[in-house]
Amino acid sequence: MNSRRSKFFVLQALLVALTLILTACGGGAADVPPGELTGSLSVLDWAGYDAEDFWVDFKNTYPNVTVNFEIGISDADIYAKMAAGNQADVFHPYTGWLQFYVDEGLVEEIDTSKLTNWDKVPDHFKQIGQIDGKQYFIPWDWGFSSVLYRTDLIPEGVDSWAALTDPAYGGHISMWDDGPAAVTVSSYIHGYDETTITDEQLAGIKDEWIAQRDLNLFYWAGEPELVEGMTSGDVWAAYAWQGAYATLLANGVPVAYANPKEGRNSWVGVYGIRKGTENMDLALKFLDAKLAEATGNNVVNLFYYGHSNQDVMNGITDETLKEAFSIDDPSILETTNFTPNLTAEQRDAWTAMWAEVKAAP
Amino acid sequence: MTTPSPALPLFPRKKGEGGRRPGGGRGLDRRATFWFLYIPPLFWLGAFFLIPLLLMLVYSFRPDMRGDFFGAWQPTLDQYAKLASTGSYWRLLGISAIVAFVISVSAVVLSYPVAYFLAFHGKQRAAFYLVLLLVPFWTSYLLRVMAWKIMLGTEGVINSFLIYLNLIEEPLRFLLYNRNAVVITLIYVWIPFATLPILAALQRIDTSLFEAAADLGARPIHQFLRVTLPLSLPGVFAGFFMVFIPTVGEYVTPLLVGGSRGSLYGNIIQDFFTKAANWPFGAAMSMVMLAGTLVLVTLATRLINLRDLLE
Repeated sequence: MNSRRSKFFVLQALLVALTLILTACGGGAADVPPGELTGSLSVLDWAGYDAEDFWVDFKNTYPNVTVNFEIGISDADIYAKMAAGNQADVFHPYTGWLQFYVDEGLVEEIDTSKLTNWDKVPDHFKQIGQIDGKQYFIPWDWGFSSVLYRTDLIPEGVDSWAALTDPAYGGHISMWDDGPAAVTVSSYIHGYDETTITDEQLAGIKDEWIAQRDLNLFYWAGEPELVEGMTSGDVWAAYAWQGAYATLLANGVPVAYANPKEGRNSWVGVYGIRKGTENMDLALKFLDAKLAEATGNNVVNLFYYGHSNQDVMNGITDETLKEAFSIDDPSILETTNFTPNLTAEQRDAWTAMWAEVKAAP
Repeated sequence: MTTPSPALPLFPRKKGEGGRRPGGGRGLDRRATFWFLYIPPLFWLGAFFLIPLLLMLVYSFRPDMRGDFFGAWQPTLDQYAKLASTGSYWRLLGISAIVAFVISVSAVVLSYPVAYFLAFHGKQRAAFYLVLLLVPFWTSYLLRVMAWKIMLGTEGVINSFLIYLNLIEEPLRFLLYNRNAVVITLIYVWIPFATLPILAALQRIDTSLFEAAADLGARPIHQFLRVTLPLSLPGVFAGFFMVFIPTVGEYVTPLLVGGSRGSLYGNIIQDFFTKAANWPFGAAMSMVMLAGTLVLVTLATRLINLRDLLE
């Protein structure tokens, strides 16, 4: 991509095309020009993603539609709210937490023919939003999880997830405060199949993390907390998303993002539409605009996450970001483990396991 | 908490006497005044405290999150049975109660001199000192806890100062990210809360009693131990419970400064709501904590017998 201008033209052309298609479709709301469309849409999203940067295409195309955001603080929180009858039209879960929405009839199948940006999404991403052969979710943001470490404090480097349980770094490790993530890490270390963890294996995993607690300085809940700990040098090695890596790199902190021999973990954020919403048309327009380029560029540039629109990813020129996404090293993607979907039983058992780790004597 | 006040009956004893107190005559009927003043807070308490509490109770008898809240479901004691069989949660509840006790006692002991000073030595400036005491409340709770992170951290105020004085070479690591940090931070946070009821109790003391004590030959220390302290005890216990009850369920401070080993019972409840999508179990844990706190407070009030203190 040689210039931003050409992208801008593509975007404009898209908007024109979108307008034409919508006008041509006829019937219902489509008769109204986008600029005059009114209404309101309710979105259950994560803190930060309510900023206009992350739905700028929708805002610009439908300036008279009101978008109300409600904030969920975790996947569990968002699922629990939807299960308890939250009336949000659109919600934003991540891989691992998708199956129950379908099983419990909380999510509507998406008519992708209504999404003008759908063909820019690579197939392997599309598949992540499919359950039982139907497209229930559209993929949006994605990234890695791996071990992030200070290169000056761990000069020998990190080549395995086992660094998070290495007594050599005692008092200087920080694990993410999340049960399923702990099971994932242990599975990688021991070569377990994450989807078929037995009760015995889970009991062993619990004991390991109880022992790990004395090496762990604190469990981080949000990226800023982790960034602060690594900047001060209190934390040497941590479970981390590449957002923290990119932030620390940009701040000049000597860090590296490991390529563990067990492979990195990878996650994808998706958007779903609540079953029974009366705002289906607006919700689809919102999702389509979420896939558009200006919005995607903001995801990449402001939060350092990947975006499911391939044109956005192809347009990355910033060296820090290229580094963070390992764009020049496609072999990393081949050894990445995508987060599998949890069953309701696994979710309950793994989160309870983690609570017991934290409550252990 | 009952306070000794001239007996002003809330309801008129005889019908018809209601609105006509001697010298009254104007204004609303007393019964009407009562309802007028009580309905808004009662409504607030009902809508935003009692109903949510009841919903939580209902949730604690659900088998899981599936299905509509008002849909058909069989009440079950599964959550309570699961909780009963997990020893580490009970242990943590005990630890949380002990931690809350230590924090409450420390906060009360530390705030007593402050209240004493404000009540008897503040003079014209007492109001100004009281404002100073309340200044921290102008910033958010979270900010005050974060400030302690800056105080206790390896590059924090205490460590930097000790290194500057050459007393230590390496920063002390035991200051932050453990249960001590939680206790220190919470004592600080609660001191103003504990001060206010003690101050109120001290201000109610009739100062002529001090003169009487002095006339009868009591030295200042005896005067304090025999007159001031006993008369201020209701305020001391009020301060204690004002700190103890919310601290048993505290979760924000352990999250920020407690590290891997600093979790309290409240953190586990929070995890079941926000990280586990298991509201029924979190609700059962909350109900057990609520019941436990009520039992402790009831026992304590029985033992101490506040009424005796007040009369």
